[in-house]
Amino acid sequence: MTQPEGRLRLTLLGGFLGSGKTTWLRHHLFERTFGRVHVIVNEAAQAPVDDVLLHGADQMTLLAGACVCCAGRDALQRTLLDLCDARSRTADPTTRLEHIVLETSGLADPGAILRLIQDHPILVRQIVVAETIVIVDALNAIDQIRQEALSRKQIEAADRLILTKTDLTAPSAITQLRATLRALAPGAAQSAASFGNALALPDLPPGADPIALPALDDQDPTPIHASQLDLGDTPDWTAFTVWLSALLHARGDQIVRVKGVVRTPAGRLLLQTVRRSVQSPEILPDPATPCETDNIIAVIGRGFTQDQLTTSLARFNA
Amino acid sequence: MCNACGFPAAPGHWTEAGAATPHDRIRERFRRVQVLQKVLQGTGVTAHDGGIVPGIQVMSLTGAQTIVPDLEALWGEVAKLRGRPFDPLDL
Repeated sequence: MTQPEGRLRLTLLGGFLGSGKTTWLRHHLFERTFGRVHVIVNEAAQAPVDDVLLHGADQMTLLAGACVCCAGRDALQRTLLDLCDARSRTADPTTRLEHIVLETSGLADPGAILRLIQDHPILVRQIVVAETIVIVDALNAIDQIRQEALSRKQIEAADRLILTKTDLTAPSAITQLRATLRALAPGAAQSAASFGNALALPDLPPGADPIALPALDDQDPTPIHASQLDLGDTPDWTAFTVWLSALLHARGDQIVRVKGVVRTPAGRLLLQTVRRSVQSPEILPDPATPCETDNIIAVIGRGFTQDQLTTSLARFNA
Repeated sequence: MCNACGFPAAPGHWTEAGAATPHDRIRERFRRVQVLQKVLQGTGVTAHDGGIVPGIQVMSLTGAQTIVPDLEALWGEVAKLRGRPFDPLDL
């Protein structure tokens, strides 16, 4: 019998100031999308401008003054520990906290936040990172991505990219932005929203061209690509993790994202990585019929081919 | 791990998430060292795991031994002993 996932779920919500993050969040708080939720707002600026807009939240913590991925780490750690502690003291499961939404700036590094949780013996047992959502302002994103290496890093780590202000942007500009986002994060689902309400987005044509982005800092300008590894119907979790841990150690900076569900004796494990940070796998419920995408792992990065990955893993599995 | 109740001393590494019962855990430990011994052939580093002491024992050609707690630490130790990282794509 597999253990059901009982940990507190954490959603990272990134995007630049003015991108529409808080508006989107306010709508989803109203809709109770996250259930019993506590919102943590991280404002790097001293003036907490968003505070006023979040009165709809059950509970909110404001962390002002420093970004939680670096100088503000201790404050985030304390806040998360306090929430876990309060939750563990709540006897009634119907009032227990279910979700934390951490709203960060557009420059926060999700990988650093993941590492904070993974490296802490209490937090890693109490919290599972559910999703990284990045709100992308269709009007201003291209300039931000062009100029800020950290905003690219944040987009790379996203599971979902939600475009806002698409009604104010020309369709050709939207297509170009989406192609650029796809080049940065091939595995991220793209959608659009207006004041939090989902808007339909047409499928992005495969031939759409991204904007040429100047190389920033010491970032490798080679485009990243997505490969798939099929672990087969009876995956060998042990051989796979020996292989993946070695790969991340040797090439961690080139392996931007790994994501997939693996069926193991302990249950269906959702494996997610952001560069070298591997999240504590979440145990997913067993569906009524077997899921087709199980045991297929997406590996997104640069400097390797899908064949190289497959051949190399086969040696470990033999 | 506590010998009496099995409560792990520290939360398991992500690589150990595939086994929940003590039986599965020990099977995975032995499978882990089996895979390691195979892929480390020719590197001058060997791995051992008797299943009793937690962690993996890493030994160099000179006979120097260390015990590492998990696979992540193991690759760091292997890189230190070899002078360069072990890259599975280079095999």
